[in-house]
Amino acid sequence: MELVARCAVEGFFSGLHPSPFHGFSVEYSDHRQYHPGDELKFVDWKVFGRSDKLYIKRFQQETNTTVYILLDNSKSMSFAGDRSVSKSEYGSFLAAALSYLMLSQGDSTSLVLFAETIVKKIPPKSRRTHLNVILKTLQNNKPSGRTNLAGILHTIAETTQRRGLVILISDLLDDEGSIFKGLSHLRFLKHDVIIFHTMDHQELNLDYEGLIQFEDMESSDKIRTFPQSVKQTYRQHVTDFLDEIEKTAGRSNIDYCFIDTSEPLDRALIAYLAKRKRTR
Amino acid sequence: MTFLQWTFLFGVVAVAGPVLAHLLAKPRFKRLPFTMLQFLKNSQTESHSRRRFRDLLILLLRCTIIVLIALLFAQPILYVKHKPKDTKHIYYLGLDNSTSMSYTDGQSSYFERMKDSAIGYIVSTEANAVFKICPLVSGIWTQELTKQQALAEVKALKINTGSADIDAFLSGVVNDNRNINPDNKVFVLLISDFTPNTLGQFLNFQEPALVDNFKYETIVSSRAINNASIVNVKTLEVNYNELEVNVTITNHGQTKQNRQLTAKVGNNKSASIDVELLPDQVKIFPVRLDTDFNTGMHSFVPVELNLSPGDGLKDDDNYYLSVRLPEKKEINIILTEASEDQMFLLDTAMQTLSGRDSAGIIRIRRIGIYNLDSSNIDWADVCIFSGIEKHLAYMANTLAGFVKAGGKAVFFMTGETDPGAINQLWRLGVLPALPKKFTQAQTYPEISPFDKQFLEIDSSSTMAIAAKAMSNYRIDRIPVTGFWECEPHVESKCLWRYQNEHGFIYCKQIDNGMTFLVNTSADGSLGSLAKSSASVALCRYLLGEYNRVRDFSFTCDQRIVLPVADFIIKPARQKQLWVQNCNGARQQAFMSNSSILMPDAGGVGWVKTLTEPVIYAGVNLPVDETNMSKPIVEEVGNALERVFLVGNRNVIASADSLETREQKPIWKTLVWIIIVFLLTESVLANRLKR
Repeated sequence: MELVARCAVEGFFSGLHPSPFHGFSVEYSDHRQYHPGDELKFVDWKVFGRSDKLYIKRFQQETNTTVYILLDNSKSMSFAGDRSVSKSEYGSFLAAALSYLMLSQGDSTSLVLFAETIVKKIPPKSRRTHLNVILKTLQNNKPSGRTNLAGILHTIAETTQRRGLVILISDLLDDEGSIFKGLSHLRFLKHDVIIFHTMDHQELNLDYEGLIQFEDMESSDKIRTFPQSVKQTYRQHVTDFLDEIEKTAGRSNIDYCFIDTSEPLDRALIAYLAKRKRTR
Repeated sequence: MTFLQWTFLFGVVAVAGPVLAHLLAKPRFKRLPFTMLQFLKNSQTESHSRRRFRDLLILLLRCTIIVLIALLFAQPILYVKHKPKDTKHIYYLGLDNSTSMSYTDGQSSYFERMKDSAIGYIVSTEANAVFKICPLVSGIWTQELTKQQALAEVKALKINTGSADIDAFLSGVVNDNRNINPDNKVFVLLISDFTPNTLGQFLNFQEPALVDNFKYETIVSSRAINNASIVNVKTLEVNYNELEVNVTITNHGQTKQNRQLTAKVGNNKSASIDVELLPDQVKIFPVRLDTDFNTGMHSFVPVELNLSPGDGLKDDDNYYLSVRLPEKKEINIILTEASEDQMFLLDTAMQTLSGRDSAGIIRIRRIGIYNLDSSNIDWADVCIFSGIEKHLAYMANTLAGFVKAGGKAVFFMTGETDPGAINQLWRLGVLPALPKKFTQAQTYPEISPFDKQFLEIDSSSTMAIAAKAMSNYRIDRIPVTGFWECEPHVESKCLWRYQNEHGFIYCKQIDNGMTFLVNTSADGSLGSLAKSSASVALCRYLLGEYNRVRDFSFTCDQRIVLPVADFIIKPARQKQLWVQNCNGARQQAFMSNSSILMPDAGGVGWVKTLTEPVIYAGVNLPVDETNMSKPIVEEVGNALERVFLVGNRNVIASADSLETREQKPIWKTLVWIIIVFLLTESVLANRLKR
């Protein structure tokens, strides 16, 4: 997992683009009156020499941002259309790569695995060794349960104390309106939100033949059909769904990145970062 | 619609197959875990209904295909109503061109009047009329003529020798009428002299013809009919110097006849005989003619009789007769008997036959068996023995030579028989069968005379002729009290058998001669054969089949059959023979076992073979055709009104739907529908898999 994350970030990516989080340097912010108890090292002695009053010099916060990586761990994420990598695995790799990237920049990184409820939450830390904790969690991750994305987003919004960057990796197979209500909640709290919408190639195209009984992975629903006869309609529905999500995300000022799990991980990342750079 | 093979309709039951398959079939599918079922659901709702529709459509198609195949095998025929076409006027013209129409009353012939009348009728019809013309003698229709063509056809019409064939004319009208559009108008015109012969044929016709109108015209002379004809000639006596015949002459006219009758054979002509006949009188006139026949080469003599001067109908003033002369030959017969009067019956039969109609000389000697010597045998052509006595052992070699030279020998097995004589004759091959053991048992000869297949296999052999000579006679049911069990010679033939399947009469050909063994009773007489009428057959054969006078005259509507003479059989085993008919045309006649079948006579006069010696047959008019009695107007009207039903044609034709409808086999249409359905089915089934 670590190797994959490092390769994805360093081998192809590092150096090609400046880090979007780079630049959180120590800069002057403003002055305030000295109060007893303040550390003397922050007293601006030059101002004291001119005005004979004690002022404290204030700086911008020196620490980097906090990144919350929310990885969908519901059963639907275990779908792997052509017996390749599943959405869950793909999401794990992506989460690992992003964690590696963030931690290497000194950002505090938190990982939240969720399905119907939060399955696992690793609090944000910026130590390099924190990566091991995240990777281990991702390695032991086994998708199960139904999706309750909207509820999870509200919970995250309510429980995070510091605003930061929320990265959601999910197939978004939940009620579309509820999802965006949750995301809006995060945006309201000044979180920067990025959605990595992972979908399998077969989910997009339905390239099956013969009579097939489709069985829902999260419920007991079954549909028996000849996929070829419904393919066109199905694709149209999926396209409409994706378009709607993208538009809604755009309206909410949320970065949206669609990822087909059949594409290489680095290509997905590059595409996203390029887009991110253009918008900033 | 109807079906020629309706039993195939039961094949429709096979529809149950696809229906059951549809109901019972469970689709095979694979299971697949999936995530985005809500999108599938939306698509599936639309697809599923379409799929079910298609499924039902395929089921329907398959059922229909099965039904159509069953229909195809049942061979349906569709009755389609005739499409109304342009109404046409169809004229059926029956024009009498029989011999009687050549009658002339001093002004013009009936035939010319008939043609004028027919032409006038055709001219009076509308321009687009369709004509169908039937000359009544041939009965052959000329169809679909335009007005101009019909006029040309009538003008070209000629008299044909013979009688009108009314049956052919009426059948043609009736049959043709069935197939024409009921909307068309059908008219019939019949022009004839309506002689009793013609009129009689109308009375025999059963099925009436439906017409819109019919018209007939009777061509008769306004004057008294002047016609007498020779209706029959019978040979009374013939020898090689003289011929005497009886000539029957009828006055069919209404005027007294004063005519002269003469007979002619080659250059010899008889003296004229005055013929005086009152109207409707029939009289027989004997005619004697000196001839100079001297050899068998003149077996068939053409005799021509003539009435002069001519009357209104000249074709019946001549009569043609072929007289077959008896072959001039002598036959010597020896009847040898063991006891007195054993040969009485045969002797009587032969005397009778030889004296009645044979011109040959037959000499019969009845002698005792022990008086038989080689000089007697040398004298004889036929030897008949009442039994096989010891004396015959001494004569065996002489008898063998006699038979080989062409003699005929008959051995009756009666009374005492001598085994030595039997063995001697058997050894020399004279006997056709070897009598081995006498069995005393009552039995009867079979009614069936001989194996008929034998004749068909080798009809020209002497044995076959012998067998045939006896085939027309039946043996009386006379019981015999005993018979000899015989072993037939390999070359002999059993002509007759007992009911117990033992042989009754055997015959064997030895070079040109024949021997017979009659395995008859032990009652001391010649038994069954001699007592029965079959003895006549045997005697006739022994004396010679053709040794009598016969007349050969035919009418032109008869099939001419002449006997095959002895002199034709041997040189000509061929099946065909060139002949010349009355018109002088060469034709091939067919030769059967005993007859020459002449083809079309071609008129009146002589039909003769083109090979020497010539076989003649006289061909004359049918007797009825010469009867020129004027018809009674009411009789003609009644006869025709019975045959032609006027005014009901449309009604009856419409009532009979089968008649007014056209039969159309629809198998081709069915085949195309099945092909289209099969293609549709395969396309739909293929789409269904998607």
